[in-house]
Amino acid sequence: MHEQLSISRRQVLKGAGAAALTGAATLMPTGKAIAVRGEAPRWAFIVDLRRCIGCRACTVACKAEFDVPLGAFRAAVYEEVVGTFPDSEKIFLPRLCNHCEGNKDDKVPPCVKGCPEYPKDRREFVTDDGKKIRYRGGATFKRPDGLILFDNSLCTGCGKCIEACPYGARNFDKLLISGKDSTKNGITKCTFCEHRIAKGVTPSCINICPGRARFFGDLNDPASEVSKLNKQFGLTENPNETTLLPGENTTPMCFYIDPQGALKKMVVAKKKFEKNDAILDVI
Amino acid sequence: MKREINRRDLFKLGIASAAVLAAGKAIGSSALAGTVDFVEGGRDFSPKTGAERKMIPSACWSCVTRDSMIGFVEDGRLVKLEGQPNSIRGKGKICAKGAAGINQLYDPDRILYPMKRAGKRGEGKWKRISWDEALTDLAGRLKKLRDEGHPEKFMFHYGRMKASSDKIVKGTFLSAYGTKTIGNHTSICEGAKWVGQELTWGKHYDNWDFDNTKMVVNFGSNCLEAHTNSIPVSQRLISAIVDRGVKLYTFDVRISNTAAKSTEWVPVKPGTDRAVVLAMCKVIMDAGLYDKDFFKFIKATKNRKASTDEKAAVLKAHLDKYSPEWAEKISGVPAAKIKSIALELAKTKPACVISYRGAVAHHHGADTERAIQMLAAITGNIDNPGGRCRAVGAKWKYPKGPKAPKTAGLKILDGFKGDIAYPNHHANHQVLKMIKDGKAGRPEIYMWYCYTPVYSHGEIQENIDILKDENLIPFTVNVNAYYDESAALADLILPNPSYLEWWDWEDMASPTQTPEYYIRQPFVKPLGESRDFKDVVCELADRMGFPLGFNSAEEFVKMSCEMTPDVKKAGGFEYMKKHGVWHDPNAKPKYYMYKKEVKTEDLKKDGVIFDEATGVYWNWKEAHAESEAEAKEKGYTKTKNAYKGYVGQEIDGKVYAGFKPDKVNKSGYFELYSELLEMKNLPAIPSFTPVPAYEKMGPDDLILTSYKVAVHIHSRSANCKWLTEISHDNPAKINTMTAKRLGIKSRDKIKIKSEIGEIITTADVTEGVVPGVVSISHHLGHWEYGRYASGKKAPFAGDNDPDLKLKTWSTHGVHPNWIMANKPDPISGQWAMLDNVVKVTKV
Repeated sequence: MHEQLSISRRQVLKGAGAAALTGAATLMPTGKAIAVRGEAPRWAFIVDLRRCIGCRACTVACKAEFDVPLGAFRAAVYEEVVGTFPDSEKIFLPRLCNHCEGNKDDKVPPCVKGCPEYPKDRREFVTDDGKKIRYRGGATFKRPDGLILFDNSLCTGCGKCIEACPYGARNFDKLLISGKDSTKNGITKCTFCEHRIAKGVTPSCINICPGRARFFGDLNDPASEVSKLNKQFGLTENPNETTLLPGENTTPMCFYIDPQGALKKMVVAKKKFEKNDAILDVI
Repeated sequence: MKREINRRDLFKLGIASAAVLAAGKAIGSSALAGTVDFVEGGRDFSPKTGAERKMIPSACWSCVTRDSMIGFVEDGRLVKLEGQPNSIRGKGKICAKGAAGINQLYDPDRILYPMKRAGKRGEGKWKRISWDEALTDLAGRLKKLRDEGHPEKFMFHYGRMKASSDKIVKGTFLSAYGTKTIGNHTSICEGAKWVGQELTWGKHYDNWDFDNTKMVVNFGSNCLEAHTNSIPVSQRLISAIVDRGVKLYTFDVRISNTAAKSTEWVPVKPGTDRAVVLAMCKVIMDAGLYDKDFFKFIKATKNRKASTDEKAAVLKAHLDKYSPEWAEKISGVPAAKIKSIALELAKTKPACVISYRGAVAHHHGADTERAIQMLAAITGNIDNPGGRCRAVGAKWKYPKGPKAPKTAGLKILDGFKGDIAYPNHHANHQVLKMIKDGKAGRPEIYMWYCYTPVYSHGEIQENIDILKDENLIPFTVNVNAYYDESAALADLILPNPSYLEWWDWEDMASPTQTPEYYIRQPFVKPLGESRDFKDVVCELADRMGFPLGFNSAEEFVKMSCEMTPDVKKAGGFEYMKKHGVWHDPNAKPKYYMYKKEVKTEDLKKDGVIFDEATGVYWNWKEAHAESEAEAKEKGYTKTKNAYKGYVGQEIDGKVYAGFKPDKVNKSGYFELYSELLEMKNLPAIPSFTPVPAYEKMGPDDLILTSYKVAVHIHSRSANCKWLTEISHDNPAKINTMTAKRLGIKSRDKIKIKSEIGEIITTADVTEGVVPGVVSISHHLGHWEYGRYASGKKAPFAGDNDPDLKLKTWSTHGVHPNWIMANKPDPISGQWAMLDNVVKVTKV
């Protein structure tokens, strides 16, 4: 099923593979937006901090979607009181896996780079008009459409991907035994609800959000909501203002609409998660 | 603090809400093609297998909002809950509490079997018994009381019981049994707000029309986290703010999430909102910016025939002493701020003035609500698009049950004689005290349902002592799905299922001012041996010899669907089972209902008479007055239950529907001058009265206040692992300056002492609370309610939850109710829960 891919592992790590896979966007003049032909979508997630009311519906929806065990979160909301009374304010910061594109040099996200069980195999991604794009898989991997996924059957439970993520987006799943080492646990992380978007249904956290503060869509499609918001708020143009930890050089695909500069005011927005520290939603 | 929203922030996104419901509807091209048209909910797929799950429409019951909801079942198990895309109320959304309903259903500590106590009451020893044994015992006891002619000695006390649940249990079963000793919970919630409304515009519930408003001023509501119509209005409010640039000013003692999203959080000292509101009214009246048209419907003077100018003059004179400068001294809100918000409110049309417990759970809280009604009224924002509107909900028709041979009630629901002027919604926090006192009698059987007499209001120790005393209450019965602190003091426990296993029809208010009909249906069959109490009362009635006319809640709902014309036309019970929700797409939103004129023929109906003093047309027969002569002699105001015969209000030669009264004999005017209050020597026009407890404060005393968080539900969600994982502690929040003065730092152990008692808890020092206040969230501090809530396993509980081993928290909170006094507001009976004065010291 998997054809031989001429791109070597070394080239993938250096980014050549990734560049060949995604390519450039071309415009499609149509009323109903469809993918650029022959290309994978470029998925992006947007959180509009103006609309988040800190209700935690997203946190719980995600828990329910995947029956995530206690102690781990795929999505979480942080809140901070900043400033001095009476001019204090409270800010909410929803966060999830950023499905990073990787640093500018090799375009490999830190978690995938850190995984000893990547690359392990060859997989195939099929575009809407049937074109097959080959890519490398492993215990964790980045798909041509941008999703960073994990395959527990290849996982050894070493935890290096958790350590590698500066956003704390990955954690051990204490109710999952890793595929390759029955003494270790597998991991849990946001998959952008891959199983739902495959069927044309929005990710669970977006579906539930009463504030309508979350968006998901294809940046390769200029008619998509995320493309319009991107244009409106200059999201991809200004990652220093619109993404978390821009200094980590991860190129997150999760953007924040933040006209109030909340990301600059919050201590937790600047936190780099180290070792096995992972996101938690605790008020 | 204040935040500017500049024009660049305004962006109407025009989100495509391609809401598609149920299986069978093709989605179109696959999402991986990059199509924009993702369906928002309505379908669900297993993350493991990709298999589609079965969708069942139902309704949430986590809070009183009771959103329409859909759930997905896989292999006989409920796996997901989401909003109902076809609901005009919820528009496809539910909150964290609703989504965590799965935890309520599969709580490993749930009560699944009838239980009888085996040791002393409260000892914690239990015996499993059969339903037959339980109901034989219970029916026997109930029948004996009824046959002896003492139905009132059976007391039923519910916390939450609405719509068809209310009609079946209270309207049919309890009514046919003959007891009126029925307690509720309203006084610990917002009884003052309802009485304030009943004294001004009649039947309670105010819908806030955020879809059409241009400005919102908020006193003590935290509707973005917790509200009686939470999801329907919270989504509309945040949309109004972001999409239309609507300004929201929130007066609160802390930065709630609602205050956090406001244009400006205006810190205010607890219990002083009324001072600010009165000052705002003065500013608006003095500036001549009041809505002269609406004044026609206002009663501001004893003489109802006063002109608008005369009414305005009276209000101005009354408000004269309530200057912004005066209000600043009392509330801490700068006078300039009071003025500017007042003027902005008067000039922004339409605007919505909202309020909730923060403002009204105080001494004379009902007058605070009246003052807020006044503010909305003088600015013309009553029952108008964009304003504060009389709520509209579904009106179901349903079967009626048999009549009781004798109906009686113990007078223990409304507090001690003379304490409360208009206890329209009872004083349930006084019930145990009344039982202890005994002068008004005591129930022999005390049954509570979705309620926790021990834990939900103040003076927990006294509550425990009274409930535990078999000399005071011989037999206690709890209908419950969970082993909470009160269940532990029952003699008999009947296992109720969670709401995810019930049938109901539902009717909560719609923010669109057009009604929505919806039902609740089970996702799974009741677990264990639990049985819907609504079905159980049918059997109890059979056993006692007065069959209700239906055998189950499902049958009641089915009959109601067929009896309600609109629902029957839509397709009746089968339609509702399949779709869950229905509304008339052609229904016109109901605004300005008071302006409707009463038809002449309705004034001529048999029994209708005219009351000169009030201008009210009323039907003495429908009010069950003794005779026409007596009705005329006593007059409308003084005839008991005259309001039940209300027909219309005469104003300037016309007769209007007006502001129809409820619970009390108010006229059809929007009453800012209340003769009913004057009769009881209470301020006739909304006035400032200081909170007595605060007047006695020493320089080192603090005010104890409490609040709700978005992820918890009253006292009944701490067993939900996904919610308690997020919020499992309720430290005492204290302002940095206050804490410094007291030598307290975050995480210090502190003692908080009131006149009732003391608690030891943890401090959390923050800039997000007004100085002089200690603020503790309400929900936590359980010592029962299961392992997630308290660490304690319930009797007969299993271990069927792998997450039990992964519980990461060992704190369970400390409840402020231990030290809050159960004092009632003298006007409404509202539990003045936010009036407590305390001393805080480091331990």
